[in-house]
Amino acid sequence: MSVSVHAPPAGTETYEPVFAGAVLDQLGEILARYPTKQAALLPALWIVQRARGWISDRNMAEVAEVLGLTPAYVKGVVTFYTMYHQHPVGKHFVQVCTTSPCNICGAEAVAKAFLDSTGAKELGATSPDGKWTVIEVECLGACGFATPVLVDDDFIESVTPEKVPELVRKYK
Amino acid sequence: MGYPQKPHARETVVLSKYFGDADARTYKGWIKRGGYEMLAQALTMEPAKIIDIVKESGLRGRGGAGFPTGLKWSFMPKEKKKPHYLCVNADESEPGTFKDREIMRWTPHALLEGSAIAAHAIQAEVVYIYIRGEFTEPWTYMERALAEATAAKVFGGIKIYLHRGAGAYICGEETALMNSIEGKRGNPRIKPPFPAAAGVFGMPTTINNVETLAAVPHILKQGAAWYKGLSLSSPKSTGTKLFSVCGHVQRPGNYEVTMGFPLKDLLYELCGGMQAGRTLKACIPGGSSVPILSREETEGCLLDYEGVVEKGSMLGSGGVIVFDDSTDMVYQIMRLARFYAHESCAQCTQCREGTAWTTKILERILAGQGKMADLDLLLDLSENMTGKTICVLSDSCAAPVVSGIKKFRSEFEEYIAGRRRAVMVA
Amino acid sequence: MADELINLTIDGAPVSVPKGTLVIEAAKQAGILVPHYCYHPGLPVAGVCRMCLVEIEKAPKLQIACATQVAEGMVVRTQSAPAKQGRMGVLELLLINHPLDCPICDQAGECELQDFTFQEGRPATRYSPDYPKRFNPVEDFGPDVLYVPNRCILCTRCVRFMEDIAKEPVLNVSERGDRAYIGIHPDARLDHPWAGNVVDLCPVGSLLSKDFLHKARAWELDKTASICTGCSQGCSITLDTRDNVVVRVRPRPNLEVNRFFICDHGRMNYRWMNRGDRIEAPLVQRDGELHATDWDEACERVATLLRGAGGRAVALVSPKASTEALFLARELFAGGGGRGGGLEWIGAFQVVMGEEAPLVGVPNLALRAERAPNAKGAELLGYSRDYAAALAAAETAAIVLVLDEPDLVVRTAGTLIYAGTVLPEGARAAAVVLPIANVAEEDGTFVNRDGRAQRYFQAKPAPGMARPAWWVLSELAAAAGRGERVATAAEAFERLTAAADGLRGLVPA
Repeated sequence: MSVSVHAPPAGTETYEPVFAGAVLDQLGEILARYPTKQAALLPALWIVQRARGWISDRNMAEVAEVLGLTPAYVKGVVTFYTMYHQHPVGKHFVQVCTTSPCNICGAEAVAKAFLDSTGAKELGATSPDGKWTVIEVECLGACGFATPVLVDDDFIESVTPEKVPELVRKYK
Repeated sequence: MGYPQKPHARETVVLSKYFGDADARTYKGWIKRGGYEMLAQALTMEPAKIIDIVKESGLRGRGGAGFPTGLKWSFMPKEKKKPHYLCVNADESEPGTFKDREIMRWTPHALLEGSAIAAHAIQAEVVYIYIRGEFTEPWTYMERALAEATAAKVFGGIKIYLHRGAGAYICGEETALMNSIEGKRGNPRIKPPFPAAAGVFGMPTTINNVETLAAVPHILKQGAAWYKGLSLSSPKSTGTKLFSVCGHVQRPGNYEVTMGFPLKDLLYELCGGMQAGRTLKACIPGGSSVPILSREETEGCLLDYEGVVEKGSMLGSGGVIVFDDSTDMVYQIMRLARFYAHESCAQCTQCREGTAWTTKILERILAGQGKMADLDLLLDLSENMTGKTICVLSDSCAAPVVSGIKKFRSEFEEYIAGRRRAVMVA
Repeated sequence: MADELINLTIDGAPVSVPKGTLVIEAAKQAGILVPHYCYHPGLPVAGVCRMCLVEIEKAPKLQIACATQVAEGMVVRTQSAPAKQGRMGVLELLLINHPLDCPICDQAGECELQDFTFQEGRPATRYSPDYPKRFNPVEDFGPDVLYVPNRCILCTRCVRFMEDIAKEPVLNVSERGDRAYIGIHPDARLDHPWAGNVVDLCPVGSLLSKDFLHKARAWELDKTASICTGCSQGCSITLDTRDNVVVRVRPRPNLEVNRFFICDHGRMNYRWMNRGDRIEAPLVQRDGELHATDWDEACERVATLLRGAGGRAVALVSPKASTEALFLARELFAGGGGRGGGLEWIGAFQVVMGEEAPLVGVPNLALRAERAPNAKGAELLGYSRDYAAALAAAETAAIVLVLDEPDLVVRTAGTLIYAGTVLPEGARAAAVVLPIANVAEEDGTFVNRDGRAQRYFQAKPAPGMARPAWWVLSELAAAAGRGERVATAAEAFERLTAAADGLRGLVPA
């Protein structure tokens, strides 16, 4: 039986909290919208991801503390929603829709074009220069504008393999 | 609408009137176009009166379920004892559907106005608009519009907040949406209790789709009789519907037509028909969760709730996915099964394990390792996955599988018999 | 309104239950067990496993019995073809990724997946060998709990227990779809004082007790109803023995006291019941040494000592002793109609204290600060908590009786009679040593902190010549002419309810 043990944290590096100063104020404003602290969880996780690029176990513990939840609870929520990164990703994160409506319009070729142009080679892997991570996602809700692609927060419609190299060049 | 093209002559342009008109996004622009007049009026009306009007109009939920909207609103407690909530379902993730996105991008104020009127009708002080995380562009426009309208104090005492999703199709299910707002995993809830009795935060709640709410100001303005009159076939299906047509047509896009419009005309006339040299093979009329229609069924289908049921499918969200004769139906059905397997929340055994197994069986068939018994196995699995779970994601996975095997059996048999080359499945 | 009865039919049998009863509970009344996993009467309803699908007349789809309330005139069919097919479908899907671990899985023999599959599952797999099973390594969740993800059926009982009953959500469901598993934050451990219950709650061998790992097979176990001796809460437990060795403690349902749960302190509190270093024969002091003898001689020796004694007697008793024993110890000195009297007696006990640990989600349930099961019983029988005073009195007492206090060091100028399970150094000077049974080796009762008298039963034989303390004291009393013999523990209990003020009218549960 191979066993993985949950050991207590080493905690040698100092942790810089996300929710301090202006960010804490921002959270306060969000908390005012809901009758429970727990409801601010998804917004709080977005704040963490925007600030740090991903959400670590330590971040989850901080969010838990700020909202009066347990770290395990927060982790259960983080792992449910696929847009939250649980490990660092490339500087630019590319999401290519390949669900059927886009699939029949050549979406898989678009995904491959991104892998080639960015040097990321494999879906989910980060390119050697650390700049790109490309993944396939499910329906992005722009099926009539196949193939839609999210590059970070930019929603780009009607991407074809031919347009990909130029698109990639635009992002430094 | 055919946006970005101009509306086709046979469209009934109501919700899509300002698609492509950047000025309509602004508060001033919206006011210039008569916006917020109906909200101002509604705020002076009795909530029950508004509910009656919407009931009379025959408006039905445009998210997929088609439940009569006025009736849904009437489930809310008449006597206000606890806080009431309105949740707006802008989680649009049903494959083939992309209409709510357009409403939010081009007419964000229309949604805000419709939401505020609905909130008043159900005596809700708080509105949460749940926008899927991937809709970064609609979010931006909604955020701006909300800020402008709030500053202009048009909402009376009603508070409207945007809430961002984070990548989960299942959060489009109304009870899962509520759980997601509450800061939980997006798990659908068992019913009872129903949202109108105990919804978000345990309080009486109504959940409505974006397109449904966008129709409300129009109904108030032009009257229930007008809306009811917009009906080409079944009197139980009224008003207009934005059909999101995608896949193998010349002009994919959103088209707003009167209920009962012939699907054949939508595809061949408004959308310009198939690509050069191609013929229609299959069509899914209501987003991927409804049965696939054969060519014959498609060409004979009228687009309203009853008309599509008559052909053996459902109107659903109105996401029309068109497959021409170049399509590998087995591959696309596998890809749909994989979608559902990815999105399953994991609560119900049939969905959690069944969607994954269904996908695996289809992958094996595509890889040239299928057996004839696999088809019976798929049908048996689909039967076990239908009508036995908390929500219908499980049933939705079964729908394309069952209809696909029924209507395109020969394609499956080609793979199984080794007459079709195995494909690499990603 | 609350007492309104609803009449319905389940599998042809008429059932009458209060309004609001769930169909799955109503079925129990008709003697029908609807197969289920995620449902548990001690947890909030989840409705996720879908195992309890039943057919209800007029309902278009199968319904889950655990989330459907009874309605007047409802007709439920659990054995109809659609219902059985629905359940068979669930079982098949639960088994596709479930490893064939039965030969090495602790749960075998008490596994609900085995039971229901045998009852109504498919006879053969359609999954293997064509499709690989999901694999994840075993996880160590904490002090006693191992998690085997491969066997998990995601019923979420463990998650709901920690969240809603222990009120410490340290377990979660992680990921989505068929990638889901039970997770715990890396910084967290499952060390809540009541966490061990998740092992009992787990219907399969996914959550396992390290303490019980690979120790015994379920069908080898004899199960005896008992009461936990860990504290004064008096939780109902089951002692599982194999070949007369206690190998496991599990909670026994008791809606009045502990519902369905016990704390980890009580759960682990059984090894001492198997101690080998027991006093196995009565011992009498002769020529500066203790010599083994038989009961007759031992009792006769005690009787002689009692008859010759004048002055004070001190009884130092353990709050772990049975109520029967405590009563008869008292009677030895204070009763007997004064025949052989002249003995002024005091009795006292002391209780080891610890930190209280409530199970927040259940009213009035906690690991209690008083770490003994019968302090209340001792109190009601007139024993004092002023142990220091009793120890002081013992120094000059004529007779000192010590009942099952192995750590005790007592100084006395008088005669020491020691009745216990093990022989401590301090008892080597005793005039007579009497071997007694421990809680697993006798019938008896404890009175918990709420005044509830509860019976426990013998799970294994006492070693050598050891006898229950109530029997020993009864024999001593008879030999000394200070009381009538009692034949059984039950008889002893009956006598004490009549005789003692605080215990009058007490009926043991």
